[in-house]
Amino acid sequence: MAGHSDSSSSEKKSSEAMNDVLVFSAENMQNNTKVIYYSRTFMSIIGGVIAGILGFTGFMGFVFYFLVMAITSIGLIAKAKFSVHSYFDSWNRIILDGFMGGLMSFVLFWTFAYDIVHIF
Amino acid sequence: MAEDLVLDTAIRDWVLIPLSVVMVLIGILRYFVSKLMRSFQTPDPKIVKEGHFLFCRQVIVRARNLRAAANFITPKSFRSRRVYFSNEENGLLFVPKGQAQNLQAQMFSDPNMAMDMMKKNLSMIIPQTLTFAWVNFFFSGFVAAKIPFPLTQRFRSMLQNGIDLSTVDVSYVSSRSWYFLNLFGLRGLFSLILGEENATDDTQRMMQMSGFGFDPSKSLSAEKDGLDIVQHEWALPKFEHRAEAVLKKLVS
Repeated sequence: MAGHSDSSSSEKKSSEAMNDVLVFSAENMQNNTKVIYYSRTFMSIIGGVIAGILGFTGFMGFVFYFLVMAITSIGLIAKAKFSVHSYFDSWNRIILDGFMGGLMSFVLFWTFAYDIVHIF
Repeated sequence: MAEDLVLDTAIRDWVLIPLSVVMVLIGILRYFVSKLMRSFQTPDPKIVKEGHFLFCRQVIVRARNLRAAANFITPKSFRSRRVYFSNEENGLLFVPKGQAQNLQAQMFSDPNMAMDMMKKNLSMIIPQTLTFAWVNFFFSGFVAAKIPFPLTQRFRSMLQNGIDLSTVDVSYVSSRSWYFLNLFGLRGLFSLILGEENATDDTQRMMQMSGFGFDPSKSLSAEKDGLDIVQHEWALPKFEHRAEAVLKKLVS
């Protein structure tokens, strides 16, 4: 919950929609990137715990991770009111940023929850 | 070969959870220690030697700003600024080859800065080494956890180092691999708890360390090239139209 309330209050406009010249406010962009990172980390931790409790193994678990990441991306895009270019500088940032780091956290919490629930 | 081992619940209580808790606490401790050490460092009177390095840093920042905002100043002023930076004789960004080598040698032989880097490195490596030794000493020789996804046989030697049975499924790992899993996975958690991404991310730090040595000469010439490439297009005349469009949208 903390992660979501963070992102709701602090995504700021980082560029003005101009015809020819694009201006980026670096500080706001950095803030937005941080918000994306926090949201992804939080969601991957929660996703890991859920995957472990539900007993996903092997391939299903990774599919679940991609699902969680996709949901996070869609949530972020919806929060940016679908005008991605006024908040970030490229599509890749909002979709792929923080993917790998989130994967490690996901695997850790997935293993943890799976062990505690199923092999306890 | 997928028999389900039944593992003792005492392993959960006394291995997995304490190891994770200890690593989280050590990470928090390291964060606070690095914060304290940073506040102790008084500004150094030896700024002369570091001054050259900082000066290069600032010049790079200025050149970068100029490149980013080039279209907002008149063509003449942009050109004069560009000449100031990349002039052949005394431009700030122009570093003759001989001097470049000198800078690097100077950087590495400066004892003060070397000690700084060493201190930062040590504060990262020592807790990791100690914890690893502790894990190896106390928690070896038994199966600690089961990872939920299957791996090939090649990982067996890496993940199961304390277990000497070769027929056990590779998913059943020893506590050493639980340590490594924690090491990588808790980075995300630390960045959530401790505010911003800080000293717990060792790979970023190491890249920064190796970047220091080459900082002056290569990045200066890179900035100079970037500045030379910029094509200036003055955007201000169009701003009146833009302001008109925006105001129209607001009013209507």
